[in-house]
Order: sequence, then structure tokens, then C-alpha cells
Amino acid sequence: MENNEARFIQLIEEHKAMLFKICRIYQDDEADRDDLMQEMILQLWVAFGSFQGRSKFSTWMYRVALNTAIVFFRKQKRRPDSEQLPDKLDHLQAEATDTEKDEQLALFYKAIQQLNKVEKALIFLYMEDQPYEDIALNLGISEINVRVRLNRTKNKLKEIVKSMNYEYR
Amino acid sequence: MNIDDLKDAWKNEEPGFVHLPIGDAMQGKTVSAVNSIRKNMKTEFIATLFSYLIFIWFLFFRQTDPFLFNITSLLFFTMVILNTYYFFKFYVFYRSISGYTLSLKNSIAKIAYELELNIEIYKAYNFCITPIALMVAIGILCGKETSKYILQGLTGSHNITAHLLIMLGVLLISFAGTYVFINLHVKFKYGKYLKELKSISNDLGEDTD
Repeated sequence: MENNEARFIQLIEEHKAMLFKICRIYQDDEADRDDLMQEMILQLWVAFGSFQGRSKFSTWMYRVALNTAIVFFRKQKRRPDSEQLPDKLDHLQAEATDTEKDEQLALFYKAIQQLNKVEKALIFLYMEDQPYEDIALNLGISEINVRVRLNRTKNKLKEIVKSMNYEYR
Repeated sequence: MNIDDLKDAWKNEEPGFVHLPIGDAMQGKTVSAVNSIRKNMKTEFIATLFSYLIFIWFLFFRQTDPFLFNITSLLFFTMVILNTYYFFKFYVFYRSISGYTLSLKNSIAKIAYELELNIEIYKAYNFCITPIALMVAIGILCGKETSKYILQGLTGSHNITAHLLIMLGVLLISFAGTYVFINLHVKFKYGKYLKELKSISNDLGEDTD
């Protein structure tokens, strides 16, 4: 049991970047992100016993973490400043942006907040370079459906970025 | 900006040194919707046990009328049986609720179904319990006056129609009140979650091939 626990902690530490990205995509409020992180780790721990190692840990983790993020609902009585999404998005611009790419990444995170939960999952898996086949398996839809939805979502993202007065090539 | 050009920056993005709440999470300390529902259920269970103590105290130490004592005891016993049955159902349900290892479509469908099913059980539970609890409370709190009134209504010694109509009215009002209150309570508390889950499930179910 202790070995299992130690192995789990080690795997979580190794893949924490992925978890943070999911939190950043799904929650715009800092406190909500912390809550989501805790919930994802709990669900991963609960499901860890069923992980048989037939697929890569990261593939299995995508599924459990994304499913958790999608069905995660923030507390109803949150601080008033988290109620208005557009205002909250401004904090992303204030984060450290040393390079042009970092600035663009911050803008990307800001734009992605306006997508729905399924679209966020699609974009996340696409950015993680997951093959269409795996995305389809994780979402439970066909591969063709993934391609169609992904194209639509990319176009939607393009429009969002343009509406924010940024150029999209 | 172009999404494909951002992939390298995305891959290289590291959260830096941050504390992961692994210990707390592994102990089950979370704030998810399902966990909040579990907590609510626990609170309701404790409140129910506490109300039993009050009922028992009134019943055995304050109730002097034998007829009312018998009727209230029967109703109270029925209430205990119903509560035990439903709380056991809720306990089993909340322990088994999960499904995050399935695909998103199946996972959402499963959770939405389980939540909806449980809401219906919860409504049925309250619809059974509340009117009985109300009658037990009336029996206990109103004392001998109620006892006389019920006896007159049941034995027909005095103006039987009016008495029966009033008793039926009280029953109907308590059922109607319970129905309205429970539906509003469930809609306010879980309606938003269920609506969002169903909307995601419908979205994934749409054929866009």
C-alpha cells in the first residue's frame, strides 16, 4: 500500500504540468483552480487501483483528469469578483510575459476561457499532441467527429482572438 | 498568433515550484459537487437523528393522552422505517458514485443518470416523510385538543363531515406544500449541475460526422 502511495505521488509530481494546464484552462479563479487540482488528485488516487499499466500513465491521466475537470462545479458562494468572467480574464495579461510566445500563450489561455467544456478538452488534447484516435477514445466520439469538432473549435478560437483585437494567422 | 505555433511554448510551460495538495486530496478533502451532495446528506442524516431525540422526548415525557400517544407512536415508527430505508439507499448510492475512468461521453451520461435518479429518490423520500413528520409534530405539540378533535372526526360523535374535511384538508395541504418545497429545493440545489451535465451529454451525443 505504501509503495503504491509513493508511486502515485511520484507519478503526480512527474505529470503536474499537465494538471496545472487543465486547471488553468477550466478555472479562471485562483481558488477554484486549487479546488480543482485537489479534486483531480483525489479522483486519480481513487481510480489509481484500476490503472493496469496497459496504456501510458499520461494517457490514463488525461482521461481521469479531464473528466473530473468537466464535471467539476465551483462553489456557488465564491467571492463576488469571480462572478464576472471577462473582468477576471484580465489577470492573465498581468502575468509575467518575457517573450512574445509567452505573451501569446497568455492570450491563448484568455481566449480559451470562452470555449465550452468539451471544446476546451479538444483543444487541450490537441495541444498535448494526442493522436485523433486517442482523443476520440477519451471523449467517446468518433475520430471523424473529433476532426470536425476540432476544426470548428479552432475557427471559434480564431474569431475570439480577433475579437480581442489580436492578429490570428 | 497561431495555435500550432504555440505548441512548443505550451510544452515548455512549467508550473515551477508549487505545493501540490496531494496529502489533503488523498484523504478525500475536496469541494466537488458530488462531495457537497455527500456532505448535505450527512448533515440531513444528523439533523434527522437529532429530530428523533426531540420527538422521543416529547412523546415519552410530555405526552399524556394515551390515544394520541398510540397514533403518534405508530406514525413515528413508520417514519423511522422509511428514513432507515432511504438513508441506506442514499449511502449505497453515494459510495458507488464514480465513473471518471470511462470515456467522457459515458462518464457524463453515467453521472447525470445517477444524479437524476438520486434526485427522484430524494423527492420520493421527502414526499413520504414530510407529511408524516408534520402529523407527528402536530400530534405531539397540540396535545389533548388534537386528540379530542381526531376522535370526534373518526367516531362521528359530532359533525363528522366537517371534521373529516378539515383533516383531509390538512393532509392535502401538507402533501402539496411538500411537493412544491421539495421541487424548488432540488431545482435550486442540484438543477444547475444536472442541466449542465445534460447539456454536455447532449452536445457529445450530437452526430457531426
